[in-house]
Amino acid sequence: MAVYSVSEVARYLTEILREDPVLQNVWVQGEVGNLTRSAAGHSYFSLRDGSATLRCVMFRGGGVGADLIEEGGAVIAHGRIALYEPRGDLQLIADIVQPEGVGELQLKLEELKLRLEKEGLFEPSRKRPLPRFPVRVGVVTSPTGSVWHDIQNVTTRRYPAVELVLAPALVQGQEAVGTIVAAFDALERLNDIDVVIVARGGGSLEDLWPFNEEDVARAIFKSKTPVVSAIGHETDYSIADLVADVRAPTPSAAAELVMPDQAELLAGIGMHRRSLDSIIMGRLEGARWELDALRPRLHRGLPDFDTLRLRIDDMMRTTAGHLRGTMQVAGERVNGLRGKLESLSPSDTLSRGYAIVHSGSRVVISSSQVGDGDLIGVTVADGDFKAHVTGNAPRPATRRRTKSRKPPTSGQASMDLFND
Amino acid sequence: MQDTTKAEDEFKDLTFEQALEQLEETVRAMEAGELSLNETTALFEKGMRLANFCGDLLSKAELKITQIQTAYGESQPEPAEPDPF
Repeated sequence: MAVYSVSEVARYLTEILREDPVLQNVWVQGEVGNLTRSAAGHSYFSLRDGSATLRCVMFRGGGVGADLIEEGGAVIAHGRIALYEPRGDLQLIADIVQPEGVGELQLKLEELKLRLEKEGLFEPSRKRPLPRFPVRVGVVTSPTGSVWHDIQNVTTRRYPAVELVLAPALVQGQEAVGTIVAAFDALERLNDIDVVIVARGGGSLEDLWPFNEEDVARAIFKSKTPVVSAIGHETDYSIADLVADVRAPTPSAAAELVMPDQAELLAGIGMHRRSLDSIIMGRLEGARWELDALRPRLHRGLPDFDTLRLRIDDMMRTTAGHLRGTMQVAGERVNGLRGKLESLSPSDTLSRGYAIVHSGSRVVISSSQVGDGDLIGVTVADGDFKAHVTGNAPRPATRRRTKSRKPPTSGQASMDLFND
Repeated sequence: MQDTTKAEDEFKDLTFEQALEQLEETVRAMEAGELSLNETTALFEKGMRLANFCGDLLSKAELKITQIQTAYGESQPEPAEPDPF
C-alpha cells in the first residue's frame, strides 16, 4: 500500500484534469454568486444552479466577457477545470463569459475567436500594408451576386488600370468553406496577385457562418498577399474580418480601399507637371539674371570702345588737318608754277605786242631767213595775216640754222612788218 | 501626340507605380537645384514625358477581368467579360 503526500495527490489530480478533453474545453451555464474583483483586476465568482456550485475565476486579460459577470446574472462560461492546489479547490478558469440565451453559433464563434486570438492570427503587428498601385487584384466572392457587380463598378470608376481576377466561391451553405479555401489556394498559385478582396453581402449569423470557420480563417492567415475583407454589414465582425490585413465595412468600400483614386492620381500628375514647369522657368530666369549680372563685368575686362572710337576720330581729324595743310602748300606751289608757266607762254607775250613771223612752216627768227618779195605769215595776239618782205638782202641759205638761237638783229625787217 | 508615342516606347517596361516614382524623383532632383541648366532641361523633358506616360496609362486604361478555375463547381458561369486584349 502506497502512501502519498497531499502535494502528490494534488499533482496527480491536476494531471488527470489536464488530460481530460471535456474538462479542458467546457461550457458551463449557471447563476453568478459571491462575485469579488481583486485589485489586480481578476474576477472571482461562483456559478451555481439549484443543487451545485462551481468556483470560477476570470483573470484580467484572460478572456472576453468579464464585464458581463454580475451578481445574480445568468451566464454561460467557457474555460477549463483546474485544481487550485493551495486550497484544494476545483475551479473553472474562465476565458469566455456570455449572457445566458446566446445561441450555440455565437458561443462557437466566441470560442474560436479566443483561440485564434491566442494563437496570434489577429496580431496587429502582422497586418500588411496594401500595395499603392495594384496591378492584379484577386476577388474571392460569388460571381452571381451584387457584391461582384459592386466591386467591378467601383473599380471601373476609380482605377480601371487594374486587372480583376475573380476566384469564384460559394459564400453560403455547407460547401462554402471548401470553395472559399480553394479560391484562396487558386489565387495563391497564380503568384502574381497583388492583393485579394474577400467579400460577401449582408446576412444572418448563419448566412455569414462560412467566414467564421477556422479553415477560412487559416486560408486568409497563410495568404502571401494582403487580404481585404468585407463580410456582411458594417456591424458584423466575422473571424475572416479579424484575420484579414484590412477590414472594410462593405464590399464597395473594400474596392475603394484597394483601388487608388484615378482622379486624385491625375491631379497629382498635373501637379508634378506644374512643378516641372515652374522649376524650369525659375532656372531659366535665374540663368538670364546671372547673364545680366555678368555682362557689365565682361565689359569691364574689355577696352572701352567708346573711348577708342573717340581716339580714332581724333586721330582722323588730326591726319586730315595735316593732309589739308600739305595739300594747301602743294596747291600754292602749283599756282606759283602755273603763273610762271603763264608768263612764259607765247600767247601772253603776243598780247604785249610781239608777233611771230612764219616763213613757210618755219618761225622766222633771223632776217637772213627771208628775202625781198617773200610772202610771210604773221601771228599776233588775236589772229594772223600775210605780208611781203621789203628792203631786205637776199638770204644766204647756209647760215640759217647756226643763227637760230641768236636774238633777232634785223630791226628793219621788224619795222617793216609793223608798218605793213 | 508624337511626344506621347515616344514616351510609350521609352517607358513601356515600367509599371504605373515605377513611372510615377520616376516622375516624383525627377521633380525632386530638379527641386534640389544642384544640376546644370543643361541637366535640368534634360530632366524637365524626361519629367514631362513621364507625366504624359502616367496620364495615358490611367486615362486610356480599360478594366480587365479574368476568372480563374476553382473548386467552385458545375454552377460556374461563363467568364464575366471577354478579355479586351
